[in-house]
Amino acid sequence: MKDVIVIGSGIAGMSCAVRCAQMGVHVTLVSPFPSERSQSVMAAGGINAVLPEPEEGDSIASHIADTLKGSGYLAGEKAVTGLCEGAGGIIAFLERIGTVFSRDASGRPMRRAFGGQSHKRTYYCGASTGKQIVSALVMEVRRFEAAGLIERKLRCCFHSALIRDGACYGALLFDETSWQLISLCADALVIATGGQNALFGKTTGSTQCDGYAAGRLFMQGAVLKNLEFIQYHPTTLETPQKKMLVSEAARGEGGRLFYLENGRRVYFMEDKFGPGGNLMTRDVVSREICRTGKEVFLDVSFLGRKAIDERLPEVRDLCARYRGIDIAKDPIPVVPSVHFFMGGLAVHLNHETSIRDLFAIGECASMYHGANRLGGNSLLAALYSGFVAAEEIAARPGKESWPDFSGDLKREEAALKLGMSSESSFPVMYIRDMLAETMRDHLGIVRSEESLAKGLEEIDYYLSVAERIRYDSSVLPYFNYSITGILTIARATLQCARARTESRGAHIRSDYPETDPGRQFATLVSFDQGGCRVWLDKEHIYES
Amino acid sequence: MKVKILRQQFPSSEPYWEIFEYDGPENNSVAGVLDYINYHDDIADITGRKTTRIGWECSCLQGICGSCAMVINGRPALACETFVKDLKGKDIEIRPLQKFPVIKDLITDRSSIQENLMKTNIYIGEYQPSGEEEHLHQYTAAKCLKCGLCLEVCPNYVDGRTFYGAAFANDCYLVSARNHTKAKEIGKVYDAHFGNACSKSLSCMDVCPMNIPTIASVARLNRK
Ligand SMILES: Cc1cc2nc3c(=O)[nH]c(=O)nc-3n(C[C@H](O)[C@H](O)[C@H](O)COP(=O)(O)OP(=O)(O)OC[C@H]3O[C@@H](n4cnc5c(N)ncnc54)[C@H](O)[C@@H]3O)c2cc1C
Ligand code: FES
Repeated sequence: MKDVIVIGSGIAGMSCAVRCAQMGVHVTLVSPFPSERSQSVMAAGGINAVLPEPEEGDSIASHIADTLKGSGYLAGEKAVTGLCEGAGGIIAFLERIGTVFSRDASGRPMRRAFGGQSHKRTYYCGASTGKQIVSALVMEVRRFEAAGLIERKLRCCFHSALIRDGACYGALLFDETSWQLISLCADALVIATGGQNALFGKTTGSTQCDGYAAGRLFMQGAVLKNLEFIQYHPTTLETPQKKMLVSEAARGEGGRLFYLENGRRVYFMEDKFGPGGNLMTRDVVSREICRTGKEVFLDVSFLGRKAIDERLPEVRDLCARYRGIDIAKDPIPVVPSVHFFMGGLAVHLNHETSIRDLFAIGECASMYHGANRLGGNSLLAALYSGFVAAEEIAARPGKESWPDFSGDLKREEAALKLGMSSESSFPVMYIRDMLAETMRDHLGIVRSEESLAKGLEEIDYYLSVAERIRYDSSVLPYFNYSITGILTIARATLQCARARTESRGAHIRSDYPETDPGRQFATLVSFDQGGCRVWLDKEHIYES
Repeated sequence: MKVKILRQQFPSSEPYWEIFEYDGPENNSVAGVLDYINYHDDIADITGRKTTRIGWECSCLQGICGSCAMVINGRPALACETFVKDLKGKDIEIRPLQKFPVIKDLITDRSSIQENLMKTNIYIGEYQPSGEEEHLHQYTAAKCLKCGLCLEVCPNYVDGRTFYGAAFANDCYLVSARNHTKAKEIGKVYDAHFGNACSKSLSCMDVCPMNIPTIASVARLNRK
C-alpha cells in the first residue's frame, strides 16, 4: 500500500487525507493539535459554487471570470477553471458527509453575496461555515482511522523534508511527547500548514499558522510564488487581543462604509464606485479605506435587530463581547488587517511543488487567487486542492526504495541539541515580535522601495542574530528551531514586493502606482546560496 | 492585580503556585493577561524572582477553537473570552483543567476526547438520514469545540475511562441523526458510556461556550 504524509489537519489536510483513503492510500496525518483547533474553523462567511438553479444569469463561466478578474489576471486560467468546475462536486461531497448548510423554506442551501462577485454564489452554514465543514470532515477522517487507512499523529510538528536529488522521500518531525526528532519515509509528502500569519504577529487568523514549513522547504530548494500579495481584509475590529474579522457577510447583507466629515457621513465607497461600492474586492476596499486617512465605520444598524439576529449573529456577538458595541444601534469602527496569503509554495496544476513528490495544498500553496482572493474561494480551494493532490498521488506508482537519511537525522538532532543546551538571555519570542513590527511597518497596504529596503535591512539583522542565539528553554523547541525558516520566508516576501515595480491587486506601491501590463505574470523566488533569486513566471511553468 | 497560577514544569513533576503582578489594560481577556505576563525578556514573579514563561495553548483567540480551556477563579472557561473586568474579586486564580493530565502549566492532554469517539466508532459512514432532518439542532451540536469544559465541570466524568460525557453524547446524536442504520449500534455505546450514568446535573450546559443544549441531544437519543 502507498504511504503519504500530510502535514496539517485543517480543511485542506483532511480533504486530502480522506480522498487518499478513499482510494486505498495510507495517510499519516500530522499536526500539533487536533483539527478542531485549526484556522479552518474560523471561516465564517461561506464557500463559493455555482450549483444547479443558480441565481439568474450566473454560470460557472462567470465564477471563473470573477475569480480571474479579482486576481488581477495573475491566477492561471486552467487552474481556476478546474476549481470552479469542481465546486459543485465539492458541495455535494460536503453535504454527503453531513455538513449542515443553511437552507431556505424549500430545503435548498442558501447563498449570499460576497465581494467582487457578479452574482450571489456563496453558500454558508449559519455563521460558522468553516467549523461545520471541519466537524463533518473530522467524522469522515475518523471513519478511515477506524479502517486503518488514516493515522493521526498529534503533538507533532514538521521539521524538514527528506530530499535527495530533487525528489522528496518523507519528513523529519519533532515529536512533542518524546521531545525527539523522528524520521518518517513515504511515497509522497503533502504540506497543508495554512498561511504565513506569524510574520505579522497576530492577524485575523490562527496563531498556529506561521509559515515555517514553507520557509524551511524554500531553504531546502522549493520555489515560492507571489509572496508580495497579502490580503488586508478591509473590515476588522480592533480589540486588546487582536484585530478580529468582521465578516464580509456584513457588507454582503447591505452594510455601508463611511467616515465622518464635519459631523456628516461620507459614504466614500458608494461615492466613488456607485451603489455596489461597499462590495468591491478586498484589495480595492482596503486601499480606499487607507486613502481616506480617517477613522472608518461600517453601518448595519439600518437592517434592524431582527435581520441582524437572523443573518449576522456572529458579527453581533463579536462586537458586543469584545467591544461592547450594539451593532443594531451603533456603527462598527473598522480597520484593515492582514487576513490571507495569496502567495506560498509554487505548485503545478497537480499541486506538486518544484520538488518531485512534495505537494502543497490549501492556503500554504499559491495557485487560484493571483493578486487578490475573492471571499469564499479559499475554503473551496482548500478542499479542491486536497482532492487534486490525492488523485495525483494515487495515480502514481509507489516508490521502490528510499535513500539512507540517517545522516540527516543525526545532523539535525545535533543542531537541535546544541540550540537547546543553554539558557537564553535573548528569547526567540522576542525576535518573532520584532519581525512582526518590521513587517507591519514595511509591508503594509502601501509599499515603497525605501521602506522595503529598510525592512530587508532589519530582517537581515534578525537573521544574523538568529544564527547565534541560544534557545529559550521555557518554550517548545518548535518555537526555537522554526525562527530561521520564518525569518527566511519574511525576507523572501520583502524581496518579492521590492521586485514588483507596479501596483496590482493587493500589492500597492506608492512609487509605482500604475499597473504594468508587461508584469502580468506570477513572481517566483528561489533560495540561492543564502540569498533570493526573484523572477517572473513568463513561461507559465506553474500553470501547467 | 495579582494573578495566581498553578504551574507544573513536566507531566510527571509536582505542581506549584506562582503569583504575578498584572498592571495591563482592564478590558483585557485572561488570554491577554497571560500574553502580557509572557511578553518580557525576563519574566519575574511578584517577588522579582526570575521564572520561566507560562505554558498555555491558543489558536483563534476569539472563542471558537477551544484551545485555551482552563479553570479561572474556580470556573472552567475559555481564557480568550473571559474578561478581567467581569471577574469577581480583586485577584485572578488560574489552574489547568483537572480532569486531564497536565503537559505543562496550563496545557493539558485532552486526546482522550477524540480517542473515546474513535474507540466507539462515532462516524457517520453512509449518509442515510431518517425522514425530516433537524438542521438547527444538528448545526448547534456540530459546533462542539471538543474543549473539555463540559467534562471538567461534570460530576459524573472522572477521567474518561468509562463515562465519556456531553461531548460524546452530542456526537452520538449527530451520527444517529444522519445514518439511521447505525442508530442501534450508536444507542448501545451511548447507553454504556453516557446514558446509563448521566445524573442530569446539566452543569455541562452552563459552561458550554457554544451554548449547546446537550439535553436536546440526550432527549432524542433516549427516545430511540
Ligand atoms: C477569520 C477568518 C475567516 C475566514 N472566512 C473565510 C470564508 O468565509 N470563506 C473562505 O473561503 N475562506 C475564509 N477564510 C480563509 C480560510 O479559512 C483559510 O484559508 C482555510 O481555512 C485554510 O485552510 P488550510 O487547511 O489550508 O489551513 P489551516 O486550517 O490553517 O490548517 C493548518 C494546519 O496546519 C497545522 N500546522 C501549521 N504549522 C505546522 C507545522 N509546522 N507542523 C505541523 N502542522 C502544522 C495546523 O495545526 C493546522 O492543523 C477565513 C480565514 C479567517 C482567518
Ligand atoms: S484561543 Fe481559541 S478558544 Fe481561546
